[in-house]
Amino acid sequence: MKSPDTGKNIIIAGVGGQGILLFSNILSQFYMNLGYELKISDVVGLGQRGGGVESHFRYSNKPVLSPFIKAGDVDYVISFEQTETLRFLHCLKADGVVLTSTYELTSSTVNTGLQKDLSESKTEIIKRSGKKVFAIDPTEHKSPDFDISKMMNVVMLGFYAQFRGYAHDDMTDIIKESVPKRFIEGNLKAYELGTTISDGNLVAE
Amino acid sequence: MKMMNGNEAVARGAFEAGVKVAAGYPGTPSTEVMEYTHQRYPDIYCEWSTNEKVAVEVAIGASFAGYRSFALMKTVGLNVAADALCGAAGSQINGGLVLVVSDDVGRIAGGDYNDCRHFGNMFNIPVLEPSDSQDAKDFMVRAFEISEEYSTPVILKTTSVTCKTKSRVVIDEDYTYEARFRHTYPVSFSKVVMTTIMMKAKDSTHPKLTKYFNDFVENIDRLARDSNDSDLNKLELNGSKIGVITAGTPYYYVKEVLPEASVLKLGLIMPLPEKKIRALAEHVEALYVIEDGHDILEKNIKDLGVWVIGKELFPKFPHMTRFTPDVIEEKLVPDAPKRTPQKDVPFRLPISCAGCSHLFVAQTLKKHKIKAATDVTCGIIGCFPHMEAYSLEKCMGASIAMAHGYTIANENKEDFVAVIGDGGFWATGINGLMNLIYNNGQSTTIIVDNSCLAMTGGQNVPSSEFGFNYKPENKLDITKVCEAIGIKDIVTVDPHKVESLEAAILNAVNAKTNSVVIVQKPCVTRFKLPKDTPSYIDQDLCTQCRQCLHVGCLAIERKAGEGSHQIVINEDLCTGCRLCSTVCKQEAIQP
Repeated sequence: MKSPDTGKNIIIAGVGGQGILLFSNILSQFYMNLGYELKISDVVGLGQRGGGVESHFRYSNKPVLSPFIKAGDVDYVISFEQTETLRFLHCLKADGVVLTSTYELTSSTVNTGLQKDLSESKTEIIKRSGKKVFAIDPTEHKSPDFDISKMMNVVMLGFYAQFRGYAHDDMTDIIKESVPKRFIEGNLKAYELGTTISDGNLVAE
Repeated sequence: MKMMNGNEAVARGAFEAGVKVAAGYPGTPSTEVMEYTHQRYPDIYCEWSTNEKVAVEVAIGASFAGYRSFALMKTVGLNVAADALCGAAGSQINGGLVLVVSDDVGRIAGGDYNDCRHFGNMFNIPVLEPSDSQDAKDFMVRAFEISEEYSTPVILKTTSVTCKTKSRVVIDEDYTYEARFRHTYPVSFSKVVMTTIMMKAKDSTHPKLTKYFNDFVENIDRLARDSNDSDLNKLELNGSKIGVITAGTPYYYVKEVLPEASVLKLGLIMPLPEKKIRALAEHVEALYVIEDGHDILEKNIKDLGVWVIGKELFPKFPHMTRFTPDVIEEKLVPDAPKRTPQKDVPFRLPISCAGCSHLFVAQTLKKHKIKAATDVTCGIIGCFPHMEAYSLEKCMGASIAMAHGYTIANENKEDFVAVIGDGGFWATGINGLMNLIYNNGQSTTIIVDNSCLAMTGGQNVPSSEFGFNYKPENKLDITKVCEAIGIKDIVTVDPHKVESLEAAILNAVNAKTNSVVIVQKPCVTRFKLPKDTPSYIDQDLCTQCRQCLHVGCLAIERKAGEGSHQIVINEDLCTGCRLCSTVCKQEAIQP
């Protein structure tokens, strides 16, 4: 018998344009419906222009105090870009979980030779972090039904929901309310793909 | 109960306060306050004014008419509006007058090291600071009450954290809107006018003279006294070892990291509740002040003769701490675990959207080695080292006058142009252009007209074809305005037609007279312009010279490939604008 969930601290990360805010809005509605207290702090710099975006997402059965999660208190890092994943690894609890896309948007400093990139593969560094890591490569999951470059956020939402054992109808109802009508179908396919990948990963484990 | 971020909560507060007029200028992170007010509360008149000073003046006028009004801006904008605020400070207030001003603490959105509380000190006006969205809504209402009760403009200070943090807010579901009206004073004059009369005629009872009397010093002193009993300032006496005076979101960091500490949470941060501060000081062994931004609370508290530990433990300038729970834990919790971030993760410079007009302008200037000044519009990105297109960059609207000054000083011996967005042009740049003409300036101005204020998400400017109060007949025309000002050469070009853009800029610069090149294309991101087929790089032809990467486009990346690196175009981001192919000497970039 699992003990009841008293709350979690989640960092949702990526770069501008990856739908981090949509992801966090859907989760927010989901946990609200379950009666949790929430604080969600979005650090959006020049996000639209290739900057990093991080959302500190906290739900709890007690009032949430700090809008920012202290390093060491993070239960989940959910990241849509793997350079950004690296920035938050040290914030995870010992039993923290990483759910990351292996997509990478090279920073302009590396592109123009102002900074050296890490010499090792970022995916490998993440996998060696000693945390429970799930890395999804979007190029392996291209689908004719939706554009995964735009909907990786919802793929990862499906993965997360399956991993947490949530009722999918509750989540997909919120998706339907949160995205423009013409994108509902694609988003539901993306969500479903996420749950399938999650299943595969969990079995493989 | 609703989940709201600070911006939504402020808008809701304005509605529940019965505000009638809202005027502002966009600025991250608080732009959304106006957008939410306009979308959700149509009873409130909203406008994006031409700049922050104008916005404050509009709000002053509405307030004098007897209606509650607010002006919205980020702190950088309050620098522009400071003169207007100074005029209102200490003057007679009819309808409550509130300035919603947001500090970019931690420079999250890229703002400068500004702190709006300096204006509270300088003009002797109250400043309120919320710690979460519930506070933001409640304090907005309180700000109007204070403004009317103590006859003063009030600053409601938000930050890049409060603006963008969502938390639950209790709202009055049954509230029905009513524009609040209060007309107490027949006149409202700045302190210059008032004091001239008040000092010389202090014993007069003549109504023509007494109407000038407004005891602004007593008003703010009375607020300071009342602040000791105000529930805006909460004194929580716990353990006697550590005491903390704090405001804003740092209050919650303190509560989480130091649960045993005694805390004074300031909601009204100016003027200070002296008695509550002394009560806390007497209760604890060590008293700290934890404040985002500059050391203003610290200085004000020390001015009361109370010793607090602040910047000696938490250094400020030049790093300008944004407090986090981690920062507090590191300094005040013994044996806090050390956690080391992954080393050498590359940082991200801001970079222009693929297809942006600014990239075309920057590239043309670089190619012909024409020096240029820019301002803080999207053109600012051209200042960063991956592009290196501009050598002089300052505040919003500055470039035209700066180029004029440069050209005057070096007697037009060197090509030096101004680059400005349509936003910067209307905000204050137009003054620079008028100045240039009537002082015989001979420089070239390139106005990048993308039909909106792109940097803050695409709000309307006077030449846009949309907006809260848009009417086609009232749309201002940049060309006509430049003509009316007296510019000799005006030409309009489409930046994606690279050859005509180059010709237009070169003709203008070589003519050595005053000229304007209007580079016109709607913002690719705001207006979701249709894309052409993405370009790709023929790897057999590419010599990795990186010229294309220095264009500064988001879609071009250098990636680790099999064995070696490759420069590739991200087809999901590329808009097919072909700018990169014009710089490739190998002709490796193809449609």
